[in-house]
Amino acid sequence: MLFPTATFSIFFMVVLALSWLLMPRGERWRPFMILASFVFYAGWDWRFCFLLAFSVVWNQVFAIALHSRGEERTRKLLLAGALTGNLGLLAYFKYYDFFVTSTNNLFAFVGVDVPLEARSIILPVGISFFTFMGIAYVVDVYRRDFEPVGFGTFAAYLSFFPHLVAGPIVRPGELIPQFSSPRDPRYVDTSRAFFLIGTGLFMKVVVANYLAANIVDEVFGAPNQHSSLEVLVGIYAYAVQIYADFFGYTNMAIGIALLLGFTFPQNFDAPYSATSITDFWRRWHMTLSRWLRDYLYIPLGGNRGSSLFTYRNLMLTMLIGGLWHGAGWTFIAWGGIHGTALVAERWWRGRPGFVERPWTTGRRAWHRFVTFQVVCIAWIFFRSDSFADAWDVIVRLFTAWGEPSPLVTGGVLAAIAVGIGSQYVPRRLPLAIMARFSRLPVPAQAAVLSLALLVTHAMGPEGVAPFIYFQF
Amino acid sequence: MADVATPRRRPRRRTAEGGRRLHSAGSAVVVSLGGLFIAMLLNAPGLHKSATIQPQGWKRDAALAVTGPLESVSGALLLDRPRRAIKAVLGRSEDDEIDTTVVVAPAPDEPAVDDTPAVPPKREKFSPKRKLRLWIAGDSLVVVPGESLLRAAAESRAIASVGKIDGRIATGLERPDVFNWFTHIREEMRSKKPGAVVLLFGGNDDHGFMTGLPEGKEIGSFGSQSWQAEYRRRVAGIMDTIARSGAFVVWIGLPISRDAAQTQRYDTINAIVQQEAAKRPGRAAYLDTYFFFAGEDGGFAEYIADDTGRLVKMRAEDGVHFERPAGDLIAEKVLEQLEERYDLTSWRKSS
Repeated sequence: MLFPTATFSIFFMVVLALSWLLMPRGERWRPFMILASFVFYAGWDWRFCFLLAFSVVWNQVFAIALHSRGEERTRKLLLAGALTGNLGLLAYFKYYDFFVTSTNNLFAFVGVDVPLEARSIILPVGISFFTFMGIAYVVDVYRRDFEPVGFGTFAAYLSFFPHLVAGPIVRPGELIPQFSSPRDPRYVDTSRAFFLIGTGLFMKVVVANYLAANIVDEVFGAPNQHSSLEVLVGIYAYAVQIYADFFGYTNMAIGIALLLGFTFPQNFDAPYSATSITDFWRRWHMTLSRWLRDYLYIPLGGNRGSSLFTYRNLMLTMLIGGLWHGAGWTFIAWGGIHGTALVAERWWRGRPGFVERPWTTGRRAWHRFVTFQVVCIAWIFFRSDSFADAWDVIVRLFTAWGEPSPLVTGGVLAAIAVGIGSQYVPRRLPLAIMARFSRLPVPAQAAVLSLALLVTHAMGPEGVAPFIYFQF
Repeated sequence: MADVATPRRRPRRRTAEGGRRLHSAGSAVVVSLGGLFIAMLLNAPGLHKSATIQPQGWKRDAALAVTGPLESVSGALLLDRPRRAIKAVLGRSEDDEIDTTVVVAPAPDEPAVDDTPAVPPKREKFSPKRKLRLWIAGDSLVVVPGESLLRAAAESRAIASVGKIDGRIATGLERPDVFNWFTHIREEMRSKKPGAVVLLFGGNDDHGFMTGLPEGKEIGSFGSQSWQAEYRRRVAGIMDTIARSGAFVVWIGLPISRDAAQTQRYDTINAIVQQEAAKRPGRAAYLDTYFFFAGEDGGFAEYIADDTGRLVKMRAEDGVHFERPAGDLIAEKVLEQLEERYDLTSWRKSS
């Protein structure tokens, strides 16, 4: 069930009304929301509801056991068990075939036949997201940062449909307390919710889909058919497409949760205005960055050691972050490029006598430009099916200047400009729009909402393309 | 003076960042419902088309029962005008039209193409100076092999694509209401004038619901004689439309799929295409893909070992679509078919 569909609209209207009706009685609201979330998830493949249910039970059982045990050794064993279950799920459903083919091909290279067979396993949508949230829950309980909650509350947290299939990755401490007490039906941030849903729809349905259909798929599908200018614009277009796609989905998810009375953390903060890769990761997929920092980088040792130790931890975190996105070497390369850039920045700033110069307009613009180019180079690997394909794109970028570029149209450039320009919109502008909207009478709000839906639906393509992050 | 009770005051409106007012949950429901309802009226032509092109079944029936009257009301109140205006500005006025006209050449029991030569025509020469114009079209299955073919074409240097790969998701020859390939192919042949056409259809045609039937004609379920006759008429019509433009068509057959029942249905479609191509030597060729992607046991295989023993992922997780190596393999075979029909390499010897 995709957000921008009639089916979801009907589903959501029913859930929205019933959720608020049942809200004052948590004992009824929780089973209702769990049921609604499982219905939502069954829209993809009902069989994977069992997987989601397993994840709920597994993490809750271990969380309770972790909470009730005092001896550190037992707790460590329990934590290892919980993590094994979570990572085992991911390993089997997401990485098994990747492991088998990589092993097989490595041995085939030296002429050894390995009796391992790929199993054609279907990847359950959202598994990477709810597995990470499950891990966060048991680790927080292990660290005694969080006490286990009732089964119903935890099940509602893990399966809550607005974040279920593509995040944001909401930490237990951010959402579970909201489930513990009824939301106040008198004060709902509707104007922000509608603004987020409207902008999310526009970015996904209009901007992302337009760029995918009109240049990105063409350029990455057959780069040697296109001029260097088309390839360059195609790479920039992909940078905007993936941002618009994921930002759009996240905005809708946050807006939908807000209408239900729940607040999700922000997931993007104008990432293409970043002045360094370090800054980029404070702004891009922020909930994943925080998760990687708190549940991977810091447990690895973080920066509590020598410089080399810190560089190793940074690199490992980014390589694993790359692998989290997809079972492929190109994703690992994507993580490797970001890891290398993060290490390089850390080394540069850590040199003896290094003094941070004050920002000037020109210096800031230059840093933003360079950062965006590095991010785009990494996107080439992220988008390509193989290193050979990525190499074709890079080679073509330099070898076909001056050839006709029919794909570089006004529409494509305008869509890219919207994506990049959106990073530099002053913060007060959306706030002013939301404030103005919130002061309109209810019928006028409905009219504005319907106009936004008209423009998005009319400008968008026929049908709904899946969200890029669903495959992760 | 008696005490006067302090009048009860309404709680102060709460505001959030930027001074925006918070509203009640009831208001959220009303605005959402109202907004959606007005948006449905404003977008009624598009919604009705979306309902029409859905797969046959109760969901389609229910959607049509809602969107049909909605479109009438929208039209009567002129609420469809803004959408039509936006579509016109974007140059996409035909988006909401439902065209089910199936205009094809004579039925296959008549001579397919009067001017079809009995023997295959001479191999025409192409070179980097005079390239063979290639058009690739079909349902979503054609996209990956199409990309591979475009890359291979660029390397051959004697083939030029006439445009983007025309791969349209969820379309086929059964449902011109979803997308009318019959009209589209005629127009593209006229405007783009390709010398060779590569097609792949049928991935979405393995069911019995066919639109665009001649007035009063009814057909049976998928695979029935009447279904096969109508599907054959459409396949033959497309081949003849292309042949009449002087182009050669390579029609890629449907691959084995993860679902054995679906594979059987694909076999029915493949048989029709293969038979029709065989009737048009030199004008059409059929490329059988079945055994490219069957595993050692003859069944579906997502991964296949190549000559060096490396496991290669050939098929997507859905069990139907192709991965890049599969596309490359198909492209190689299509190029061989084109080479048989055209001389694409002798320029290398003379240059």
